[in-house]
Amino acid sequence: MTEANILIEDIASTDASKTLKRVSISGQLDESNVDEKSQAIYQLITQVPKGLYLIFDFEKLEYMNSKSIGYMTDWYGKISGTGGQIVIVKAKPNIVDILQVIGLTQLIPMYGSIDEAKFAILNAAAQSAQTPAPAPAPALAPTPVLVTVPAPTPVASQAPAQSPTPAPQPAPVSTSTIPPASAQVPTISTISPATPTTQIQPPSAPQP
Amino acid sequence: MENSNPETKPVRISILLPTNAYFMSGIRDFTMSFIKNATKFSQQWAYRFQSIVDELCNNAIEHGSESGQDIKITLVYAPEESLTITVEDTGTGKTKTKAADIEKIITERRKPGYVFEGIRGRGLSTIVSSWSDSAKFEDLPSGGIKATVTKKLDKSQNTNLPKEQAVSAANRVVLTV
Repeated sequence: MTEANILIEDIASTDASKTLKRVSISGQLDESNVDEKSQAIYQLITQVPKGLYLIFDFEKLEYMNSKSIGYMTDWYGKISGTGGQIVIVKAKPNIVDILQVIGLTQLIPMYGSIDEAKFAILNAAAQSAQTPAPAPAPALAPTPVLVTVPAPTPVASQAPAQSPTPAPQPAPVSTSTIPPASAQVPTISTISPATPTTQIQPPSAPQP
Repeated sequence: MENSNPETKPVRISILLPTNAYFMSGIRDFTMSFIKNATKFSQQWAYRFQSIVDELCNNAIEHGSESGQDIKITLVYAPEESLTITVEDTGTGKTKTKAADIEKIITERRKPGYVFEGIRGRGLSTIVSSWSDSAKFEDLPSGGIKATVTKKLDKSQNTNLPKEQAVSAANRVVLTV
């Protein structure tokens, strides 16, 4: 099994209605370990059913695969649906890159440090406490990202046209071609509330 | 006539991988080393190719080859032109799938507004499709599937992530197999 560790720590909160936790993930999250490692987060969600704020510290996270991002999407749905929030801090450029291509950076705010994330969470809490009817933050317009990464380069458009061919019986070879994606997500440093290439929505039935 | 010029001769490496996700960490490390040492793709693309290889192999391990069999990974770098990644399975996995079925699933998931409703499904349809120029799936006579992904070396796209430097020419090692 690939090495990965998850460390969960309490963070002092000045708002009693907000439970802040720091989730530090180190190593590589891949097919060999992500199902097991993700259980710690599901337990946390169960223990704190309301007002859970998770600050994911990715400073020592080296790799994450598509399934681990799928889990993050599920956690986002569960936690934001119960008045909480998840944010990411100190993600390496390659991690930001893959989160961006999936579209998760349009849902989950990213910060450069724990202090910045904590300030944003508690400041938002203070604002909502002072405002009787606060406008809810749109799902696709998160707090501006503090990590800077160059915009993903557009994929060349001269790829072969889609030409699926039915499989012959018995088939020597049948071929299906997927053209490259043409739409790209925006630069992380200036995230706009534009609709992502593929709409992300938390799954209704988790598959831990 | 065979190209014997080491500067332009394609670099080709194949690996047989047991059907077990345990080995994928090593394959990712190898992919990173190959891209950095044998190609002119940037560090950013090296990370992206790691993900592409990982996602293709995970798909083959889960659906294409049963335990105890192998999947075959091949990386081919055509100098100054492109990188081609192929992953072949044996077609003995728990879910028998045809190439056309995979293409149909990917096409469906790439439609604007498609909503992913599970933990899985983003690997081929989003990561692999977004970070390649073409992704082709073929039914093999043996019953397996061969996935072929190609990315052209486009210098205008070959940028690095912040704080990362391109591998200097002096440090390049040309691998010949």
